[in-house]
Amino acid sequence: MTVGSQVKTCYASIKNIEATLAILANQTNEAKSRNVYRETEAMITEIKNDLEKQVLMLAREEPQYNQ
Amino acid sequence: MPDWIQIILRALSLLVILFFFTKWLGMKQLSHLNIFEYITGIVLGGIVAIHVSTLESPIHFALISMFIWFIIPYLVELISLKSKPFRDFTQGKSRVVIQNGKIMEDNLKKEHYSTDDLLESLRDRNIFKVADVEFAVLEPTGKLNVLPKRENRPITAKDLSLNLAPDREPQTVIMDGKPLLESLANISLNPTWLETELEKMNVSIENVFLGQVDSDGQLTVDLYDDTLAVPSPSQKPLLLATMKKCQADLELFALATNNEETKHLYQRNSEKLQNAIDHISPYLR
Repeated sequence: MTVGSQVKTCYASIKNIEATLAILANQTNEAKSRNVYRETEAMITEIKNDLEKQVLMLAREEPQYNQ
Repeated sequence: MPDWIQIILRALSLLVILFFFTKWLGMKQLSHLNIFEYITGIVLGGIVAIHVSTLESPIHFALISMFIWFIIPYLVELISLKSKPFRDFTQGKSRVVIQNGKIMEDNLKKEHYSTDDLLESLRDRNIFKVADVEFAVLEPTGKLNVLPKRENRPITAKDLSLNLAPDREPQTVIMDGKPLLESLANISLNPTWLETELEKMNVSIENVFLGQVDSDGQLTVDLYDDTLAVPSPSQKPLLLATMKKCQADLELFALATNNEETKHLYQRNSEKLQNAIDHISPYLR
């Protein structure tokens, strides 16, 4: 695997984490738990945005994956 | 009217009356009755027993005496709800038998409680050494309540200053293969959600003996057919594992790259993710 695809895999996992947290936040009926899930989700979203830039940059550097 | 029909009629009507009297006097376990309730119970039973079997005594005698034995305890209970001294008189007071780790012999004597009784009650609470007790109180019902010394109390999450996720009581949503709509509504879920969850587990609702949902909305079921394996909820452990894996990946990327700026970006995000894991891990256990 090239670095680009590795980072992409990690990016996908981060998206998975974000979505799972959203599901948990909606499923729970405990207000405090819901808050913690939402806060963590926000943290993960920040990481996701950073990684997204990195994925785009790596895609420019490895153009064969854009064909 | 033949005698036997009269007896049947009396028995049925007095049974109904006795049932309602007992209900109105409040529901309590036999061992939790105070003196007054104890006496009332016996006398009401006696009155009914006599009038059911002896036809010579007119039925209205039974009704009058039962009513009196009902209304007096009822009033006593009403007054004792309002007045503390009256309550202490009719229901008795609790008495301290061990204070600061020392046995109060006088109080034991007043309650006709022998040393053996005390030891037996302590053993009931799994305490075999009087020296382990800080405080003990004898309730009017005869029950001994014990506060062990600090070092002999069970350890709690508070003692360990653990951070634990709050949880509510689980709701039973399936009983004997049928969904319970009311408890589903209590946790704002609907039957469609239940069907989807059961489909994920690959079981049909007719085969579920009991199903419960915890406060995080995770369903656990017990099946009639015990040979079938049911998957346990895996969403939360899986999420924690994925988070840990991503964190490790980010650290690897940070080590692998030569570009200072990119290295910094990976490191920062890896730290952020570690913080997120620390933040949420009590909730995912």
